Formats: sequence, structure tokens, C-alpha cells
Amino acid sequence: MRKLFESIRRSFSARLSLWVVLFAALVFLAALGYSTMVARRFVKREAVLRATQVLENSILRLTNILEDVQLSADYLEWLVYRHLEEPDLMEEYSYNTVQGTPALNGCSISFEPDFFPGQHYFSAYSGYRDDVLQSMQEGSDDYQYFYLDWYLLPKLLNQPCWTEPYADWESDDAKDLQTEMQVSYCKPLTVAGGRYIGCISLDISLKWLSETLSSVKPYPNSYSILVSRGGSFLVHPDPERLFYETIFTQGLLNPVSDQTVLGKAMQAQETGMQSLTIGGQRSYVFYTPVKTTGWSMAIVCPESDIFDSFDRLRRILISISLLSLLLLFATCFRVIGRSVKPLRELAVQAEDIASGHFDKALPTSTRPDELGTLSRSFAHMQTSLVSYMDELTRSTANRVRIEGELQIAREIQKGMVPRVFPPFPDRKGIDLFASIVPAKEVGGDLYDYFIQKDRLYFCIGDVSGKGIPASLFMAVVRTLFRVLGQQELPAAEMARQINETVSENNDQLMFVTMFIGVVDLKTGALDFCNCGHNPPAIFAEKGKARFLTCKPNAAIGAIPGFAFEGEAIGTIKGIPLFLYTDGLSEAESPAQEQFGEERLLATLNSQPFDGAEAVVDRMGQTVAAHVGKAERSDDMTMLCLKVS
Amino acid sequence: MGGKRFLTILLLFLSLAARAQELEKFVFSPMSLPQAQFVGYYVALDKGYYREEGLDVVIDHPFATQSVADKVLDGECQASLLTLSLAMRMVGEGQPLVNILQTSMNSATLIISRWGDDPLTLRGARVTGFRAGFGQLAQSFSIKENLDYEWVFTSAASAVNLFISGAVEASLARSYDEYYKILQTGLVDPEKGIYRFEDHEYNIQQEGVWVTREYFKTHRKQAEAFARASRRGWEWAAANPEQAMDVVMRYIKEYRIATNRTLQWLMLKEVLRLQVDHESGLREFRLRPDMVQAADDLLFTSGRLTRHVSYEDLIP
Repeated sequence: MRKLFESIRRSFSARLSLWVVLFAALVFLAALGYSTMVARRFVKREAVLRATQVLENSILRLTNILEDVQLSADYLEWLVYRHLEEPDLMEEYSYNTVQGTPALNGCSISFEPDFFPGQHYFSAYSGYRDDVLQSMQEGSDDYQYFYLDWYLLPKLLNQPCWTEPYADWESDDAKDLQTEMQVSYCKPLTVAGGRYIGCISLDISLKWLSETLSSVKPYPNSYSILVSRGGSFLVHPDPERLFYETIFTQGLLNPVSDQTVLGKAMQAQETGMQSLTIGGQRSYVFYTPVKTTGWSMAIVCPESDIFDSFDRLRRILISISLLSLLLLFATCFRVIGRSVKPLRELAVQAEDIASGHFDKALPTSTRPDELGTLSRSFAHMQTSLVSYMDELTRSTANRVRIEGELQIAREIQKGMVPRVFPPFPDRKGIDLFASIVPAKEVGGDLYDYFIQKDRLYFCIGDVSGKGIPASLFMAVVRTLFRVLGQQELPAAEMARQINETVSENNDQLMFVTMFIGVVDLKTGALDFCNCGHNPPAIFAEKGKARFLTCKPNAAIGAIPGFAFEGEAIGTIKGIPLFLYTDGLSEAESPAQEQFGEERLLATLNSQPFDGAEAVVDRMGQTVAAHVGKAERSDDMTMLCLKVS
Repeated sequence: MGGKRFLTILLLFLSLAARAQELEKFVFSPMSLPQAQFVGYYVALDKGYYREEGLDVVIDHPFATQSVADKVLDGECQASLLTLSLAMRMVGEGQPLVNILQTSMNSATLIISRWGDDPLTLRGARVTGFRAGFGQLAQSFSIKENLDYEWVFTSAASAVNLFISGAVEASLARSYDEYYKILQTGLVDPEKGIYRFEDHEYNIQQEGVWVTREYFKTHRKQAEAFARASRRGWEWAAANPEQAMDVVMRYIKEYRIATNRTLQWLMLKEVLRLQVDHESGLREFRLRPDMVQAADDLLFTSGRLTRHVSYEDLIP
């Protein structure tokens, strides 16, 4: 299954086909659902109409039966009253009544005890025994009819009435009972003054009634039920149910049954339709009252019967839909597969190209559709790609070369400043240490020092700009410093001459800030000229560092002919100097906060002077900590000097 | 070989015949046609408890309005099932009867109002009743409570139909029989308009097995054997109600009785419940002197007894 999903996921045509099928399935489903709903409603409406007609017919038939019985009773009553003095005729009358009324199972004309002199019991009964109509006197000490409901009801109600169903026995032997459930129409017999003298009772067999009324049914498995006022079944397809079972009997054990709900509606003489589960089967029940009797008739139609044809049709429709979807999937899969075949080929070749075969020939497509356009665009893209790749190769080679040259320049620049410490191992009294921490690009920082006839010449500078021009400018300045130093010129003069030299042909308008110093190693006298550079720090009073106050001069190269002024300090013996470029004071932290001059002084004063190298190292570490992971944008150059 | 087989069959036949002769025929009449109310006797017969006691019992159901009291007096049966009140009336009228097994320890009598009113408020109302049996106590109750019911005597089955049709305002009923038949009409609320004798001072036990004192004197052994076996039958039914129900339904089918299993099952459960004495919580199968005294008070006061009948008058 996982493999199947994977293959579907990887196949565009399978995925697209599935989406199409899914969409089609949704459309099918919606259409099927809607049509099913409409058709079901229609079938249901038809069923209601059909069942209602059958119910009305059944009610009509029942009413006819009941009216027949009532008419027979009326006629019999007339006969009895007319021949009240002739009791011997009563059996004949009851016999003729049963014989003349097909609905009747039996008939009795019964009188109050001792109504006829010498006859305590008088009940002329005629009824069928083994399908033979027989007449008899049925009252006896063992069968005291005047205690029975069919006799007492008309007496108590003093009007004609239908009894609830009751059992009639066809034998006097309890062991040989032939029980027949029946319902009787009873009419009281009264004489002047309303005195009750007896009743006539006409019996209908429930079995016969069930057979008669159940013969017409709207569906093969539908059936009729007739329920009495007390819920007893007068008509039911299951004869066992006619035996003292009511529509509420099941409710005695399970009070919330569907049958109980139906029973209540029927008992309330309502007309309606309910969808209920009866006998474990979902059914529609149509019911209506039988006027004047308190009975209610219903037709139970199982849903499976009503919707049988509909369900069959629905099953066929579902099968056709499923088949159509399968067919649609197969067609889509094939058509889409064929359509995207060039795309697949293109993908294979694109992969080839991607793996480095840029010259792989692409298939030429003449298709006018999007796939053709894509193929042509791809071919154009391949051409562009090849050209771009060539360009890239060339530019990369150039860049590598330039990088190499820059690296060489950086190395040359490094090599131009002295890097051997201690610088004058054979001379005591000079503690000097310097360092350049280069930025990513080649910068223009410089420092230098040398001794000429007991004089120590030193300088520090920062060329404007970056890259090769700055580097070359720095080389020129440094060379000039060396050459002029050999001539033992004062610092200001050196500055002037360097300025004049570099100002010539300075089309690029480059300049360098510089601090030039000359120390008489015998006296410690310092001659210096600050050419627009950051003033150095001097550990003057009690070894505390402060910035040296300098005269403002222009940067070298900035103003041709500028008159540089030099300055002097009597002696710097035992007084260390700390020179630096702005790459130190302007070093930025990741939060773009500059290191600043305050931190610089604080670092210098953090502990007593302990040697030029130690001071430079400590300053380097402090600045590195401040800069953290931020990228340096400028060289950072430091020079520390102590003469003693 | 053939002669030997014939001899064996003959001996077997003679042995069975001799055994059948040893069993004494005993006819027992319950109060009505087969129903779960008599399950203990059916079980005793089916399980062979009567045969084990040496009795060949025949259960002779009366037909419709036949009186079982007359049957036992006329000797048509050896024992019959009677209510305590009926037996007391018969004894009071000089027809000595002896209780050999009391199956009911509580009153099953109810008065159910047709329209949900309290039966104690239905003064002068038309109420279905039964001429004999527990109807006697209900009539005495009506007099004692000054209700002056107008009794409409009828059969038990007819009583329910009269009730349904509204020809009467209330009906006398037994909690195991007519009560459920009325409930299954859907016309009454089981919580309203019902007066249960069991819940009041009229809780007087009802059905028991009675024989004539004369029979008891001459056939004490058989009477006691019948009582013992019947009691076993009842105890088995109480322990196995589902199986006992199957036995009942077999009788009902055989007699083609118009009823249904639900009604019979409810009847069985209620009859078994009524056998448990409220005070002891046990099936005691005995007459309670205090209930006999209560019945005597009620029946004598209402004129249903012409003389007092004591507990001693009813026991062997």
C-alpha cells in the first residue's frame, strides 16, 4: 500500500487523474444524493398515497361489515320485541341472524335470570361449531352468562356497544377448549320504564376479520392491524397476537418502545403516519380511527418493501457511477500520461544538464501548446545557461586572480613594516613594540622606526581609502620617511617634504594622517609633528595615561605647501608613549558601538606600565573582546615606545 | 428365544402396572384455567415430585364460572386452591376445611380507578368485583371505609373489559393478573388511582391449598405429601423462573388459553414476590394467625361471616 501511495505521489498523471476522479466522484455523489433524495421523497409520497387508499378501502370494508352487523342487530331486536312472549322462537331467530349475516360467527339472545318463568338461565345461542351452524341454550350453573362482559356492558351502558375482544369456548370441558377470540356487538333489551331484561349479542370472529381485512395490501409484506379502545388487536397477521395481546403489551417490559408511541396515537383516535421500528423492522405505519367504535386501523408497510425498487435502482446507479469513475480514471491516466510524455523526457534531459552536461541536445518540439512553449523556453534557458556558465567561469577565474594579487599586496604591505621585536637588541633603553591587525580588505596603515646617529625615528600613519591604491600610497610614504630620516631632518621638516612629494601628481587626492617623532636617545628629548593623526597617549604624571596635546596640522598630501609645525618635549625618558590609528578607537562592537577613546585610556590605565609588548597585547585583546564577532572595517595599528 | 423375550416384556408390564397401582390418585383444582399463578403445581407434576410422594396428581382446571369450592366439597377433587377469605366463609358456614399449604403471604388485591381518582374518594362508585374469593374482603373493605361501592359482579376477564369501556368507575384487581391486563390497555397511569391492600392494614394473605377436614382426617399422609411436593415445585420455580415459565407456557398452549408470555412472566414474578413474607423476608408457606385474625375481624364486622373463625379452625 505504501508503495502504491509512493508511486501515485511520484506520478503526475496518476495524481491528476485521481484529482479528476475525486472531483467527478463528488459531482456524482452530489447528483446521486440529490436525485436519491428527490426520488425517495417521490416514492414516499407514492407510498403514502397508495397506503392511504388501501387504508381507506379497508376502513370502508370494515364499516360495511360493522353496519351489516348493526342492521342485523336492529332487525333481530325488532323480532325479539315482537315475539317476547314466545321464547321458543329465540333460537330460530338467532340461527337465522347468523345464517343471514356472513360476518357473524355467533349470536345470542340472552335474558335476565328467571325472566321467563321456570327458566333461571335463558340464552338462545347460535354459532358455528366445526363449521356447522348450531343452536343451543348456553346458560348453566357452570356458564353464568349474566356475569360476562358481553351481557353486562349493554346493561351498564344502557346503549348498544362493541365489546373488547374476549375468548369464546366451544366446549364445556376445560381440557378440550377450542378458543376463538371474538368481538361482539351488544344491544340492550329493555321494557317499559327502561327495565333491562336482557341483550342480544352478535359475534364476529377476529380470525375471520383478520383474514377479510388483510386480503388487500399495498405491498407484499405489509399488513393491517385493527386496535380496540383498550389497545387489543382485533386484526393482526399473527393469530397469536389476537390472544389478549395489546399494542402496549411489549411496553410493559420496555415502556419506551415505538409500538407504544403508535398505540398512544391510535388510542387517541388520531390520523397520521409514523416511521417506527416494529418487530425489528423499520416501517411506515399509516393509521386512522374507525368512527363510532373507538377502534383504530393501521397499515404497516416495511420500508424495505416501499423502497425495494428504489433501492435496486440506487444500487444500479451506484454501480454504474463506480464503473464510470474507474473508466474516467483509466482514460485520464492514459491521456494525461501521453500529454506529459515530452515533459517527462524534458525532465530526464534536464537532469542530465543539471549533472553538468550543458551541451546535451534537447528534443525540438513543434507543439503549439504550453508544453511546446515550455520545451522551447527550456532550450533557450539551456543556451542562456551555457553562456552564463562561461561568463561565470571567466569571472571566477578573474576574481581568483585578483584575490591572489590582493593577498600578495597584503603580504608586501606586511613586509614593509618592521616585525622583529625587540627591534634593537643591541641597544639598551629602548622598549618598543608595534602591531598591525589588518582588516579584510587591504588597508593603508603603516608604522616604522629606525635609529640614525643616536636618534630614534618613528612614525605611525593611516592612508585614506583602501585597497591597492592605499597600499601603494603607504609604500611611498614609508619610503619617503626612511629616506628623509637618513638626512637627520626634524619631524616637521620631514612632514613638509613628504607632503610636497606626495602632493605632486596626486590626482587621486589621497592623503595620510601621520605622527612623526624623533627621540634623542641621549637626552630623551622628543621632536614630533602630528599630521592630522590621532594624538598619542602619554603615560605622563605618575604613570597615568592621557592624550598628548598636539598642534593641529593638515594630513600629509591633503594641502600642497602646508606649513607643518613641530613640537618638542624636553625628555620622554621613562615616559611611555602609545600611538594608534583610528581603526582602534573606531572599532565597532556587533551593536555598532565604537571602542572610543575613553575605553582606550581606561585600558591603558587598567594596570601600571609593564612593557610595550604587554600594553599592545592587552589593548589588542580588549579591542577584540569589544568587537566580538563583528567584522573589522579598518586596519588597527598600535605602537608603544618607552625610552629609558 | 421368542418365549424368553415375551416373558421379559410381560414382567416389565406387570411391574409398571403394580407401580401405577401403588400411586394414589389425587385431584387438585386450581382457581381457574392454566396460568403462571399455578406454576408450582405444574413444576411439581413435571418434575415428578408428586410421584416421588406416591401420588398420581391430576390438575383439574375449572371452566369459566365453575366454583372450585364446590368441587372440593362435592369430592370432585381432593384439594383446591382457595382464597383465605372464601375458605373462612365456608368454615364459618359449617363446611370444615383445612389449610395444608399457604402459598400467598400477602394480599394481591388492588382497586384501580378508571380515571385516575383515589379509590378512597369514589363513594358509591360502580366497581367490578368477584362474588367469591378475595372479592369478599374487598366488599368488607368497602363497608369498613364507608365507600358503599356498587359492586358489579363479573368474571376476572370480563372485569377488565368493563373497565376499559368505562362502564364502571373502578375495578377490583389482583396485582399479578388483572392489574397487568389493565396496564396493557394503555388507559391508566400505573402510579395513579391505585389502592393496594398490601400497603395498608388490609394486607391479608390470599391463596392456599385446602382440603376438607374429613379428607385430612382419613388421608393425612396424602394431603401432607401433596403439600410437600407442591412446596418443592414452588421453590424450584422461584429458583428457576425462566424454565418454570416454559412449563407454564406449555400448559397454556395445550389449553389454548388466550394470553401472552409477557403477561404470564409478569404474573409469575408478582406471584413469587407475594410469597415472601414482609417481616421474615422468607417464603414461609404457612398461614399467619394475625392475618387470619385480621380477616376474621373484617369479614365478621361487615357481616360476611356469621360467626368468628379462628386460626385453629383452619389448621389441621
